[in-house]
Amino acid sequence: MKVAFVGKGGSGKSTIAGTFARVLARRGEAVLALDSDPLPGLPYALGLPVDDRPIPDDAVVAGPEGGPRWVLSPGLDPATIIERYAVLGPDDVRYLQFGNTSGHISTIQRAQFAWSETVKGVDTDRWNLVGDLPGGTRQAMLGWGSYADCAILVAEPTSKSLHSARRLLRLSDADWGPTTVLIVANKVRHADDAERISSRLERPVTIVVPMSAEIMAGDRLGVAPLDVDPDGSFVESVRALVDHVAGLYHHVEEAP
Amino acid sequence: MKIAVVGKGGAGKTTTSAVLARSLARQGREVVALDCDTNPNLGISLGVGDLETERLVSLREQLDDGDVEHAADWDEILDRFGTDGPDGVRLGVITRIENPDPG
Amino acid sequence: MLSSGEFGTSIVVADLEAGIGTLSRLGDSQVDLTLVVVEPTPRSLDVGRRAIDLARENKQGRVIVVVNKVVDVETDLALVREKLGDAELVVVPDDDAVLDADRAGTALLDHAPDCPAARALVELVDLVFDSAA
Repeated sequence: MKVAFVGKGGSGKSTIAGTFARVLARRGEAVLALDSDPLPGLPYALGLPVDDRPIPDDAVVAGPEGGPRWVLSPGLDPATIIERYAVLGPDDVRYLQFGNTSGHISTIQRAQFAWSETVKGVDTDRWNLVGDLPGGTRQAMLGWGSYADCAILVAEPTSKSLHSARRLLRLSDADWGPTTVLIVANKVRHADDAERISSRLERPVTIVVPMSAEIMAGDRLGVAPLDVDPDGSFVESVRALVDHVAGLYHHVEEAP
Repeated sequence: MKIAVVGKGGAGKTTTSAVLARSLARQGREVVALDCDTNPNLGISLGVGDLETERLVSLREQLDDGDVEHAADWDEILDRFGTDGPDGVRLGVITRIENPDPG
Repeated sequence: MLSSGEFGTSIVVADLEAGIGTLSRLGDSQVDLTLVVVEPTPRSLDVGRRAIDLARENKQGRVIVVVNKVVDVETDLALVREKLGDAELVVVPDDDAVLDADRAGTALLDHAPDCPAARALVELVDLVFDSAA
């Protein structure tokens, strides 16, 4: 599967994406977690003690005269980049970071070039892609999530979150946009929250994730949901989301 | 006096901006609140409502798409891409503030 | 663009892009005060740390950290201090009224003007303007 999580900053995208990746990996699938947030949050949700792990500079060299600005270094291709530079995390999820804004600008651009080349050329028969886009609409607008054929929009039952979600839904209609968009209602506290999200977005809500005090406490401690409350309602909801998405892909494979 | 409010999405940046802007206005000061987020929703927290916030954003999108001629100065920007909010705060949606000449 | 604008005597409150994108692209000395809003979580404080460094580096005036959603002052501020060092802090308590206002799509000052979070933010105004005067 190739999914990307989008939504307003703070909606819980990374927390759900990281848990999704690990739940899928525990089912024996090879999972590549793709973090294109320049202020990465996915490591916390994966339970991975790393912050700044961009693909190193020397993975990229200047392109030939008259050609592209950069190319991957000789001997490197997407498979070897994943092998060498994607960080191995809990449940054997591999984590590939887009580059962190703390670095020097040209270093970041090189790391981001290598990241994009890897994502473009990754063997999707082998790897399931689980991506986490930064909050807001800038990257989504520029097509950064275009590796995914399924976008998962995480929305909270607040006017601001739904306002952002509506903008993202408009963007998902672009040519490069995903074929499927699923809505996840997160931090739900009231009985009518999911219905409210659904009517405001004019789409059904696929999965409802209740507000969880345990997950919020874990967030403050920097502990991943699967490590802080593995059998709680949050993880259960993410399992249901994995089931749902796996069902979509299974259905596609069986189609003539 | 110019104040920038920053932070990770969801931290409370927009609520902070809105309370600050309206509290200053209640003290009798003239306040301009600028929404510089690519995902503008300061209007909601200021209290101008969902619909008005969405109207301002689509005006701004037309400008970014080149459908509307660029405004000449701040007053004009605020008149055309802004609205008067509660307590007299003037709100402007300025998605690309770091770029002096968008487009 | 902020500095080139003629705002006269108005006070400008600029709600920047989430993350540090806008802040990193602003020129030097564009504002007199930078409010860095954080939650007491490692992730939010990572972003806060970068924002503080950038604001200081580019001389964006006084820097005040607004620590939002504080549940337990002692524990939460210990984490903030560990990540942010000696930055000037203002504490805003965790308050369901903020969630309720967001849910209703209304301003906090209209929804619950006397709730603890609103009071703390109103006090922030006094802190900024009393000491600036």
